[in-house]
Amino acid sequence: MARMKFICDDDRCIECDACITACKNENEVPWGVNRRRVVTLNDGKADETSISVACMHCSDAPCAQVCPVNCFYTTEDGVVLHDKDLCIGCGYCFYACPFGAPQFPQDGAFGNRGKMDKCTFCAGGPEEDFSEAEFEKYGRNRLAEGKLPLCAEMCSTKALLAGDGDVISKLFSQRAVERQLNQEESDNSASGPKLWGWKTAYKE
Amino acid sequence: MFRLFPFLLLLSTEALADERTFWRQAREGVEGYSAVVGVETNKLIQATGSQWLYIRNELIAGTGAWVLALTVFALACFYLIRGKVCLTEPRSGEMIERWNKKERWLHFYTATLFIILAITGLSLLFGRSLIIDWVGHEAFANYAEYAKIIHNYAGPLFSVGLVLMGLIWFEDNKFRKIDGLWFRQLGGFIGNKHPSAGRMNGGEKAWFWLLMTAGFLVTVTGLNLDFPNLEQYRLVMQISHIIHSVAALLLIVGALAHIYIGTIGTEGALEGMITGKVDKTWAKQHHDLWLETLEKQSSTTCGERKHTTESISQNKSETLLKKS
Amino acid sequence: MKLIKRSTSVDNKSKNKLNRRTFLKHSSLAAGGVALSGSLSFALMEKAEATEAEAQKTADIKRIRSVCTHCAVGCGVIAEVENGVWTGQEPAFDHPFNLGAHCAKGAAVREHGHGERRLKYPMKRIDGKWKRIDWQQAIDEIGDKILAIREQSGPDSVYWLGSSKHNNEQSYLFRKFAAFWGSNNIDHQARICHSTTVAGVANTWGYGAMTNSFNDIHNSKAILIIGGNPAEAHPVSMQHIFKAKESGAPLIVIDPRFTRTAAHATQHIRLRPGTDVPLIWGMLWHIFENGWEDKQFIQQRVYGMEAIRKEVSEWTPDKVEHVTGVPEAEVFRATKTMATHRPGTFIWCMGGTQHTIGNNNTRAYCIFQLALGNMGIAGGGTNIFRGHDNVQGATDLGPNAHTLPAYYGLTEAAWKHWARVWDIDYNWLSKRFDTALYDDGAGGKKRTMNMSGIPVSRWIDGVLEKPELIAQNDNIHAMVFWGHAPNSQTRSPEMKQAMDKLDLLVVIDPYPTNSAVLNDRPDNTYLLPACTQFETYGSLTSSNRSLQWRDQVIEPLFESRPDHQILYQFAEKLGFAEPMFKHIRVENEIPSIEDITQEFNHGAWTIGYTGQSVERIKKHQQNWHTFNTTTLKAEGGPCDGEYFGLPWPCWGTPEQKHPGTPVLYDTSKPVAEGGLTFRARFGIEHDGVSLLADGSYSKGSEIKQGYPEFSADLLKQLGWWDDLTPAEKQLAEGKNWKTDLSGGIQRVAIKHGCAPFGNAKARCIVWQFPDPVPIHREPLYSNRRDMVKKFPTYKDRKSFYRLPTRYASIQHVDYSQDYPLTMTSGRLVEYEGGGEETRSNPWLAELQQHMFVEIHPADANNAGVKHGEQVWVEGPESGRIKVMAFVTERVGRGLVFMPFHFAGHYEGQNLADRYPEGTVPYVLGESCNTVFTYGYDAVTAMQETKVSLCRLRKA
Repeated sequence: MARMKFICDDDRCIECDACITACKNENEVPWGVNRRRVVTLNDGKADETSISVACMHCSDAPCAQVCPVNCFYTTEDGVVLHDKDLCIGCGYCFYACPFGAPQFPQDGAFGNRGKMDKCTFCAGGPEEDFSEAEFEKYGRNRLAEGKLPLCAEMCSTKALLAGDGDVISKLFSQRAVERQLNQEESDNSASGPKLWGWKTAYKE
Repeated sequence: MFRLFPFLLLLSTEALADERTFWRQAREGVEGYSAVVGVETNKLIQATGSQWLYIRNELIAGTGAWVLALTVFALACFYLIRGKVCLTEPRSGEMIERWNKKERWLHFYTATLFIILAITGLSLLFGRSLIIDWVGHEAFANYAEYAKIIHNYAGPLFSVGLVLMGLIWFEDNKFRKIDGLWFRQLGGFIGNKHPSAGRMNGGEKAWFWLLMTAGFLVTVTGLNLDFPNLEQYRLVMQISHIIHSVAALLLIVGALAHIYIGTIGTEGALEGMITGKVDKTWAKQHHDLWLETLEKQSSTTCGERKHTTESISQNKSETLLKKS
Repeated sequence: MKLIKRSTSVDNKSKNKLNRRTFLKHSSLAAGGVALSGSLSFALMEKAEATEAEAQKTADIKRIRSVCTHCAVGCGVIAEVENGVWTGQEPAFDHPFNLGAHCAKGAAVREHGHGERRLKYPMKRIDGKWKRIDWQQAIDEIGDKILAIREQSGPDSVYWLGSSKHNNEQSYLFRKFAAFWGSNNIDHQARICHSTTVAGVANTWGYGAMTNSFNDIHNSKAILIIGGNPAEAHPVSMQHIFKAKESGAPLIVIDPRFTRTAAHATQHIRLRPGTDVPLIWGMLWHIFENGWEDKQFIQQRVYGMEAIRKEVSEWTPDKVEHVTGVPEAEVFRATKTMATHRPGTFIWCMGGTQHTIGNNNTRAYCIFQLALGNMGIAGGGTNIFRGHDNVQGATDLGPNAHTLPAYYGLTEAAWKHWARVWDIDYNWLSKRFDTALYDDGAGGKKRTMNMSGIPVSRWIDGVLEKPELIAQNDNIHAMVFWGHAPNSQTRSPEMKQAMDKLDLLVVIDPYPTNSAVLNDRPDNTYLLPACTQFETYGSLTSSNRSLQWRDQVIEPLFESRPDHQILYQFAEKLGFAEPMFKHIRVENEIPSIEDITQEFNHGAWTIGYTGQSVERIKKHQQNWHTFNTTTLKAEGGPCDGEYFGLPWPCWGTPEQKHPGTPVLYDTSKPVAEGGLTFRARFGIEHDGVSLLADGSYSKGSEIKQGYPEFSADLLKQLGWWDDLTPAEKQLAEGKNWKTDLSGGIQRVAIKHGCAPFGNAKARCIVWQFPDPVPIHREPLYSNRRDMVKKFPTYKDRKSFYRLPTRYASIQHVDYSQDYPLTMTSGRLVEYEGGGEETRSNPWLAELQQHMFVEIHPADANNAGVKHGEQVWVEGPESGRIKVMAFVTERVGRGLVFMPFHFAGHYEGQNLADRYPEGTVPYVLGESCNTVFTYGYDAVTAMQETKVSLCRLRKA
């Protein structure tokens, strides 16, 4: 059974923010709502590392556990979705989520945040596939079109991977192993003492 | 381990414990940079959410349900054992003003909001497990949405009531030595004699101070939770929510007892709050010192009333203490 | 009340859906590209088979192939259009450059289909207020004013400022338009981005362009990036860079800032801004010292390396460290990496070019690659990443002050060549120009027709300078900004003065731009809405010289019109439409794009823009998937054997089917298959030494030695004349490979395995330049006074690009006490150029809402500013801006950095109310160029935006 996942290869992420605008483009989310974002730690320092993050579609999703109206559900593909008709905009999912995925369209005075919005893995929502209601509330349903999330499909350096967890983790580990081997080889002949990359990270 | 962010992170946080600084920083919620504007968008991981989730879902909801159930059960038992506390002497027919109009309005204003807040608040905490199956998913979500809105607007109004109560009843609720006696006798539960009390007895004072303290916490945390547009960090909100829930549950427990005593528990209490007047007999039984003060005071001038009341009840209570 | 409309429960609903998605469980969702190249593949997710629902959904959707308009990587875009509305954007997985990938800008191009903040109608300013007018009125009024200025001051008083955002056809037409108007006062952004590259590189080995390609970086064993930040400026190129890096190629980034690119580097070198030459010479010092140079390559293919060796010998490691600030060991380490990893590629961008010695820098880079023998080889080369989507094409064909299309220059012969292509009388054309003679700056006198125009970097001086000091009849009185953001130019305070002084200001652009708001003009100001490249069609040339075809995605929005239509309208109004469009069909005022392509195919022989017919380019566009993503060569399919986009030079006529040249000067392939030699551009000997190649020739060449460029005479000497057909002979007689309109000379040369442009050595000495051997000179504004003494700049010049130009007189003044900080500028990934277009795109604008200045923590403490606070940045030429402090160690101590995409604020004043209603970009900010200062490259007049001085004051 496929379980949809995202992986971000931080050796390749350059914080170009394509994932963010691709998401805006595809799902027409309004200003102020960002289903995906890129976080750079140690910005401007030697260890600078960027990671693109959105809803991780957790297996045991905290948002789903805390929701007072139980509006979350997990599809058979392992995508965590929610029903905006049920959502009351309480914000609890936002407090529970480690990744800051839940977004709210309004400013929030007196708790008026509007319906929660988050990454759907481009899988739409509970409305009928490709219906206008689905698009308006949840954005595009690429999964039903046989496509994967646009953020990953458009990633400038193919750092962001999306797909079945087994497939992409295998792909990623293969990538990492090869990267390590090649860099070791290069290390031996290169003048530099340190190649900043997966290997150093691994052996540190 | 591969840095399979965050795929593996979700599967096993332990496995990543040895990973390089980056992940340590990420998990510690170190702030970085993000082009996305917003609260804490520059943090990759906010780790305390899972603890908050545990505290809310397991400890607060779990324990809270038991506490509430036990409270109701205890009150029911009390009622069955003790029954209604009736007037020991026949009504005199002479009515004394116990609560003036302002006080009564304030009481019912605050009480109504309290009940609304309690019901709507509890709905968010327990509704998912109790009500959804009962009324259906959509109906509950509909209700919950209104419950949330009502709760969020009623909260600040409630806090206004709370503040006014504090101002009006502060003097009457200062603890005095006599209250110790009242507590030792558990308000008359132990022994046959009804303990002496001024305008407020020990129980009322306890309830007042619970309201003031827990109420303060509920208000402050509630207002904080009510205005996420102030861009508080999630940790602040999580802590606020925990304090808010615990304090609110305490208040609800207190309120249940208060309501019990003020309605079916004590004859004549509710009518006092509704009409503002109590029978002299009732006053003598429950607030003897207050009655004495009132009676003595009728000969003194209005301006000195308060001071006199206090000094009299003070003298009286000291005498009583010596006796016991 | 909440509407409850779903009849089934959530669970049932989702299950129903899932059945339709069961395909996802199978292999179809797997990473499609994995099979292609193992774990290093980029292509990750391919579209799975479409479901039934999808098939229904797509019935009415048109998929249109276009190319991103934001940088010169040339990423393919697939636009989905429903009923004329651009409703979707899909990744172009098949596209050989981007394999579906995009950066923030590319992933947001669909917003062009909304265009909410666009300039919607022609507008005119009356008494300081914008008023809507119609197109005809606009053209008539502007045309009348322009004609009056011509009458009074001559054709050179109207300045036509074109754009790198034009497609090839529009660029070419723009250049032609200026020619028919009778002035060389025409230019575009290439002047202020890579003009020093084009000049430096072309003068080294023939052509001034990226020699290899983004994809070819896969073959590199080492990558050196200097003065470039592709992670922000060309993010998709990083895909190719990472591919090489992950295959073991070290990545060296040389930049005063620790850029996003540097964060992924094997080695980052922080040099003092403006010290590129000393650093490169310092690296060469180690190369010569250790005998790492490619001796055979130098002997066969390089002229003048001895002179370099002599200059380099002065640059001992300690001196290099003293001047550049880079520790000796770092320089050695980088050099050794490059020497032991061959072929290595050398990448540079604005950090190298935007200096008063930009041309020295670019030549030093070339010489470095020549010394290592990294030229003309896959994986090597000088990979110059260009900026705008069609800046390469516009440079090649379009609005340039110093040359006619395809670098023919401005000599009489060049004009005659194009007059022949245009089928017009040269004498008539000549009379369109001012007939007087003016100082050409080189001790002679010339007509303006044969003299470079005023470059875009200097139009301000063309307006403000005393007319008697300008080498033309009068000042500039009218400016036509046709796709140009003035905030990308330095000296805003003077620019504002110049704008206010103009008799006429016209902006032709999809957005009002800073030109509309910076000035205080009450009237005689017009805004005409041009449409974007998604609303028209045509070809463009990406950085790697590949031509691509864009199909039209949507009809022009609002009342906007494509540039070629507006050009036609003006040509008609100004009275030369008939000769100008003699061989270009015009329907409903819209000239045929295809006819224009054909016309430049017919004339652009120098750089081989002749083989790329419309049909061939379109065929490539339709067969993206058949091209190898490393070699760019089609494997099978209708384009079999051709290189993607027929990268120029694509020799001869389209019928000759040249496959394009993927790697310039690559002798391992026959010329007919994309091989080349260095161009014999600089004569056959210099100072008695032969400039022709020595024992090096392209594969299959019948001449096993160097040879000069081909001409009719040479063919006759070689006995190859009779290989021409009679028809070819007729046109080729007396001509050479550049002027033979039949293409016969090129065909015959290639038939014999020879490069039409000859086979010579690359040269390390450019004897026509102010510094024949590249040397270091301090920037005009330098706070290292000790360095200024040792490495002074040039003397002031009386006439350079028609204008007096200052060097020493500025550098002479010591500003280092009052303005202690060095200042540099650069790009952000979200924005492009002046930023008006991208700041009007909400998807992008949301991500960069504030203009900022990066300050080192120590400098911030000295100035008493904290992160996020407002700060005044003040420059030595009186400009000052109020921006947000971004305190970071990304910049070294003593250096501040600012992005240049912002405009709409001026010296603390918000100009939002000056925009026409509904056109204010989502984000406004101070332009860093308000503070940036005077300083122009000694060869091309490139502005010096990478080094100046400033001070900080808490706001």
